[in-house]
Amino acid sequence: MTATQQPSRTRSLGASLLDQVLAETVDPAYARAAEVRAARPAPTRGARWRGQALVAVTMVLAGLLAALTYDQASAGSEGRQQIRAALIADIDRESGVTDDLVASLADLQAQVGAARDQALSASTGGQLALDQLARQEAGAATEPVRGPGLTVTLGNALPSADDDPVAGRTPADTEVAQVLDRDLQLLVNALWSAGAEAISVGGQRLGPTTTIRQAGGAVLVDLRPVTSPYEVLAVGDPDSLQNRFLGTPEANYLANLQVTYDWVFTFGRSDDLELPGASSTELRSARPVTPEDAPAPGTPTPSVPGDGGD
Amino acid sequence: MIPILGLAVGVVLGLLLDPSVPVWLQPYLPIAVVAALDAVFGGIRARFDGIFDAKVFVVSFVSNVVVAALIVFLGDQLGVGAQLSTAVVVVLGIRIFGNAAAIRRHLFRA
Repeated sequence: MTATQQPSRTRSLGASLLDQVLAETVDPAYARAAEVRAARPAPTRGARWRGQALVAVTMVLAGLLAALTYDQASAGSEGRQQIRAALIADIDRESGVTDDLVASLADLQAQVGAARDQALSASTGGQLALDQLARQEAGAATEPVRGPGLTVTLGNALPSADDDPVAGRTPADTEVAQVLDRDLQLLVNALWSAGAEAISVGGQRLGPTTTIRQAGGAVLVDLRPVTSPYEVLAVGDPDSLQNRFLGTPEANYLANLQVTYDWVFTFGRSDDLELPGASSTELRSARPVTPEDAPAPGTPTPSVPGDGGD
Repeated sequence: MIPILGLAVGVVLGLLLDPSVPVWLQPYLPIAVVAALDAVFGGIRARFDGIFDAKVFVVSFVSNVVVAALIVFLGDQLGVGAQLSTAVVVVLGIRIFGNAAAIRRHLFRA
């Protein structure tokens, strides 16, 4: 061992590995092959050509490999974008189909209603049934409603200018700060107890069987997704509605949440609200109305399971 | 000249023919390309040093590509594929840099 090699022995394994990697950038096999070649006579012309052809083929391979990889990488991102666009188009198309079906359903329901009214209005028993039907339809919220009332808006915190859009809020923060289905349920129940006659959430009218539920990150009203800010319209006497709503513990609770989480929580009186009808419930049983069979006002028509078709 | 032409032909062929790569092979393509780059730069450096040898070049190219892909494959099976890829890229990257610097010294005498 010479004195110059002494320091390298005390160096760590990792450092010597790095030294080797840094020092040995060219394959030592080249040097060895050159020594062997120098010892032997010069290669023939044919051998040199073979070598050149081999190198050329290898370079073709290298080019092919690089082009393939480039293709793959670009196709990957392109493909993802295409799939995304195709999925969005699918969603849009199917939503359009759903809207069309909803519109034609409303049309057909109106036709059925008109035909029913015409058929029933002929007889006294029919008139009674019609009156009862009108009352029950009002109760089931299937008819559009128009009138003065209260507009309450509840929404997630708006992104403020201070927020870093990438890392400003942790996911846990945003999850905690979101308006949940139970907050909307509280709000709606407070409005009912304050005397609201009809309520819609995000344009969806609430009927007796309408649900407000959470599915993943979305709030579903009557199984249709609604997004923040949630606009809750309540038809009723604006003065008493507002006073009594503000007196409920739920309004107090929501105001607290608004302060804590920067929620949007506003309400105001509206003179003219227009609420659509709720989607009508499925007709499960029916039977023809005969004069002696006409139900007395106030008693619900007994439903006979399996008696009628849908 | 011929090797450069070969490279160009390979690139054009790959872009024009657009052959489909089996799915199981796709994750190893990028690392194989880095290994191929290392072999190519090593060959160019050897050429400038005057010790280029066709056989060594071809063998180092093929073994570089296969071994790099194998290491990553093994890493994937063991659950350290990403880390091993990084290790391979670091080592090969240092060698490519070293060779490129040597080539630069040969070319520009600087």
